[in-house]
Amino acid sequence: MTRRHKQTLARILVAGVLLIAAVLTPQAWGLWRLPIFLIPYFVVGWDVLWEAVCNIAHGEIFDENFLMCVATLGALVLGEYTEAVGVMLFYQVGELFQSLAVSKSRRSIAQLMDIRPDSAHVLRGGKEVTVDPDEVQVGETLVVRPGERIALDGVVVEGSSSLDTAALTGESMPRDVEEGQEVSSGCVNLTGLLHIEVSRPFGQSTVARILELVENAAAKKAKAEHFITRFARWYTPVVVLGAAALAIVGGLVTGHWGEWVRRALIFLVISCPCALVISIPMAFFGGIGGASRQGVLVKGGNYLELLAKTRTVVFDKTGTLTQGKFALSGLYPVRDEEEEPLLRWAALAESHSNHPIAQSLRRAWQGDVKDHTVTDVEEIPGRGVCATVDGVEVLAGNAVFLSQHGYTPAQDVPAGTVVHVAAQGRYLGFALIADQVKDHAAETIAQLKAQGVRTVMLTGDSREVGEQMAQRLGLDQVHAQLLPQDKVDQLEQLLDQKPEGTALAYVGDGVNDAPVLSRADVGVAMGGMGSDAAIEAADVVLMDDDPAKLLTAMSIARKCRAIVIENIVFALGVKGLFLAMGAFGVATMWEAVFADVGVAVIAILNASRMLYHKKSI
Amino acid sequence: MKKVFKLEELDCANCARKMEEAIGKLPGVHSASISFMTQKLTLEAEDGRFDEIVTEAQKCISRVERHCRIVK
Repeated sequence: MTRRHKQTLARILVAGVLLIAAVLTPQAWGLWRLPIFLIPYFVVGWDVLWEAVCNIAHGEIFDENFLMCVATLGALVLGEYTEAVGVMLFYQVGELFQSLAVSKSRRSIAQLMDIRPDSAHVLRGGKEVTVDPDEVQVGETLVVRPGERIALDGVVVEGSSSLDTAALTGESMPRDVEEGQEVSSGCVNLTGLLHIEVSRPFGQSTVARILELVENAAAKKAKAEHFITRFARWYTPVVVLGAAALAIVGGLVTGHWGEWVRRALIFLVISCPCALVISIPMAFFGGIGGASRQGVLVKGGNYLELLAKTRTVVFDKTGTLTQGKFALSGLYPVRDEEEEPLLRWAALAESHSNHPIAQSLRRAWQGDVKDHTVTDVEEIPGRGVCATVDGVEVLAGNAVFLSQHGYTPAQDVPAGTVVHVAAQGRYLGFALIADQVKDHAAETIAQLKAQGVRTVMLTGDSREVGEQMAQRLGLDQVHAQLLPQDKVDQLEQLLDQKPEGTALAYVGDGVNDAPVLSRADVGVAMGGMGSDAAIEAADVVLMDDDPAKLLTAMSIARKCRAIVIENIVFALGVKGLFLAMGAFGVATMWEAVFADVGVAVIAILNASRMLYHKKSI
Repeated sequence: MKKVFKLEELDCANCARKMEEAIGKLPGVHSASISFMTQKLTLEAEDGRFDEIVTEAQKCISRVERHCRIVK
């Protein structure tokens, strides 16, 4: 509570007591009671009156302060002293609640984004100095102790540790880092002392970019926000004119001027569209803030809206559903017990090669090349390698290569890259190297399908590989052998096919699919940590490589949409109802003031639910 | 030129909307957007008259909410 809030609260309490005292004065005093009621009226409402006067001077006649003054002063003139003071009192109570709720939400959002480091420790002339992150130059060495937040992006030059990346990715598993690895600002160092060579100035660091992106997101407004803006422009004038018409027509027809003016004043109390004007942008902003906490950056409220009605999701394969890294996925020896020799021969024969396939074989084998002698290596590009390993001739390569050397390699092989191996003059079998499917890929697709979302995969890979992957993951459709430009054409077709009123999201890793990302209704880029291209091209950025984050983003978007609809229906419904009741003389000013500020407070509380969201997987 | 300003003492959401409309109509302004939640004004306007336009924008703001100020 700020000082101003406290002052308002004090005024409300004092005015409340004075009002009770005033109500207790005998009715018989008649007009003499007016000054007694005016005391609490001015105590609680002087600022509203003053604002009204100032705004009238500026020509702002549809200002809520002014309308509230007209309503309460009108009630005083009609002799309804208690209502007049009471309405002003409750109006202030409501405003105070609103203000408190808004500042609480502002604070929670600020906390969500509390990843900005206050200072950085840098080595200068062998000494450690503490400076503002902005002052650190590229190439300087940062010292980060356990428990501290890494201030700038860089490369570890000394030490090893594990990092808490939760603030950036929403992922609670710590990530291990050692010398030579890149680290992002915003991560918290957990265990060891790290020396980091700064690779980017603070303004371009991960933290600065995330903050900028999320803060700018508020400027890109959703359709629902534009609707509210248009609605608010007309609502107040229409209600005020309605009030004037009600008083004049009612008065002329029935002759009971007092009664109809009283009804018209009720209209004025309900004339502010505040409930909607605050709560709708707040829901979107809370959604964007809540999503960023889970490692999903949404570039605007409009994209949350589109995500909520996404019914087609198109995935890129490599780097999105798969890790984009080759690894041994199976050994198929001719004799069952020969798995180990098969892998060992293959790994050793390829030990001099830097080809990704050779690397994946070595990684899988885990033995030490130094314990063996590998000589007479002869590599035929695109075919295979022939080498003498521990005095034995070994061949490793594709089917053509082995056939050329007189072997009969297996014909019936699964999709992927196959390395056939022969040693000691005998064909041993083959090793299968394939791209690895990401952990949550299948689960994500299954959940999307359960939600009625059509799933499609685009890939530049061969039809065999693509179809096998699609079957394994349960995708609805796959388009393979696509060149980058074909992907755009294919996406255009999918956009034509999508059901009316729904959106299409494309999920890629931001590497050479920028045109597709921007063509889709919602472009979702993966692995935003460190990739400028992805952050630039996409509308939504998943900070880590987990496809399941898409589900999180979509469920946040749907929750946001639900809250927005609830608030619009609730606020308009209640206001409409009380306007009608006021016109028919059923509602009093007391109820009207609830319809105004009560509804606003409830709508704000409902919108603040957006700040809290559980994980999907 | 596009610039983001912080707004101090922006208290009322409906006022923010009115300011946004008024600033958007100023000559030389390409786009203006006020976020009540972040208390920020995003202003895109002609380069040559930018400072002048910011002064005009402040006038629009004061007309709606007297206490509210653009922090430069």
